[in-house]
Amino acid sequence: MDDISTVNKKFRKELSSGIVALVLLSVLDRAAEPMYGYQIAKLVGAGGAETPMVKQGALYPVLRSLERSGLLQSRVEPSVSGPPRRYYSVTESGRKTLGQWTEIWSETKTFVDSVLGGVTND
Amino acid sequence: MIESIDAYLNQLRKELAGSDRATIQDALSDAEEHLRTALDTDREAQAGVSEAEALPPIVEEYGSPEEVAAAYREIEVRLRPTLAQPRHADNRSLFARFFGVYADPRAWGALLYMLFSILTGTLYFSWVVTGLSFSLGVMVLIIGVPITVLFLLSVRGISLVEGRLVEALLGVRMPRRSAFSSKNLGWWERLKPLLLGKRTWLAIVYMLLQLPLGVLYFTVLVTLIALALSFIATPVLGPVLGLPIVYVGEARYYLPDWLTPLIALAGVVLMTATMHLAKFASRVHGKLAKALLVSD
Repeated sequence: MDDISTVNKKFRKELSSGIVALVLLSVLDRAAEPMYGYQIAKLVGAGGAETPMVKQGALYPVLRSLERSGLLQSRVEPSVSGPPRRYYSVTESGRKTLGQWTEIWSETKTFVDSVLGGVTND
Repeated sequence: MIESIDAYLNQLRKELAGSDRATIQDALSDAEEHLRTALDTDREAQAGVSEAEALPPIVEEYGSPEEVAAAYREIEVRLRPTLAQPRHADNRSLFARFFGVYADPRAWGALLYMLFSILTGTLYFSWVVTGLSFSLGVMVLIIGVPITVLFLLSVRGISLVEGRLVEALLGVRMPRRSAFSSKNLGWWERLKPLLLGKRTWLAIVYMLLQLPLGVLYFTVLVTLIALALSFIATPVLGPVLGLPIVYVGEARYYLPDWLTPLIALAGVVLMTATMHLAKFASRVHGKLAKALLVSD
């Protein structure tokens, strides 16, 4: 039992590495104004999955790496209470990339679905 | 069981031990931002909940220190500073490696940084010396304390800006924002790290050091570059324009024409070596900046 759950965990992690970046880009692209980490995490978590794809803490390093590659930009603003917050928004090149990634995602989805569908049909 | 945000951050710091220091700082400030915001939100929803009660479900969602540390470590591998080169073995010939320095953005960044450092060095040095002596001078008055605090805060700010410069031009990863103090501490608790923390004072040492270092970098680089350029120009100056190499009183000394191309060649080699020197010195300077401006 323990073995199966570690294998599942590993599979989930391998799958998530690219998907999380796509999800974050799309969430920020749809947002009307820049968002900070906690808001983003809440929004992603509201997706409704029983087991979240990733822990909220794992979203932050992805945000930082997306900013590094120029797909996101951020600014730090002091908050009324507590520590300053980093607000993220999508850049022009991020928007273009999102379009391409969405296409790649739907291709992948169709491909995987067709293979999985094929397996169950036989 | 994690009962406070500080305990969480301490554990996260322990988990990340050995990682890049700037990554650790990023991770800690992300975690603190998230946990504090989540805690404040929860406390607004239901008043009277203690930190120890509210925290476990938040941490459950955020991820344990081990999980979060693993996520940062994984990304760190992919996260390279702007000008950092991928670390693969360089199997070009010695010749290509020597002259390839002209195509290396790190070398040009280093050259630019070192020529600029005489300027930044002068500015930092004057600011620190003025600020320190003025702060000490007015310390006997009541206004001395806020002035000292303002000066020390400015040192923090400037060291962050210098960090951005070092990262952009020298390709050494530096922190992206300063560590903040938690808000539920008294004003003295918050001031203590600013006044007594080694971070502020190390930054002051760095800013003082920047002047002599900047003068050294500037002088050595300008001398070497001028020398190399004049070497390269000898074939034009001597045989073409007929200018002597040295005047001593009335006497004029000329170089034999066949020698000038060789001197020009030496100039090219000297110029290239200067670029390598700049690159090497910048790596040392990057280490210094990291040691003095980034502290855990």
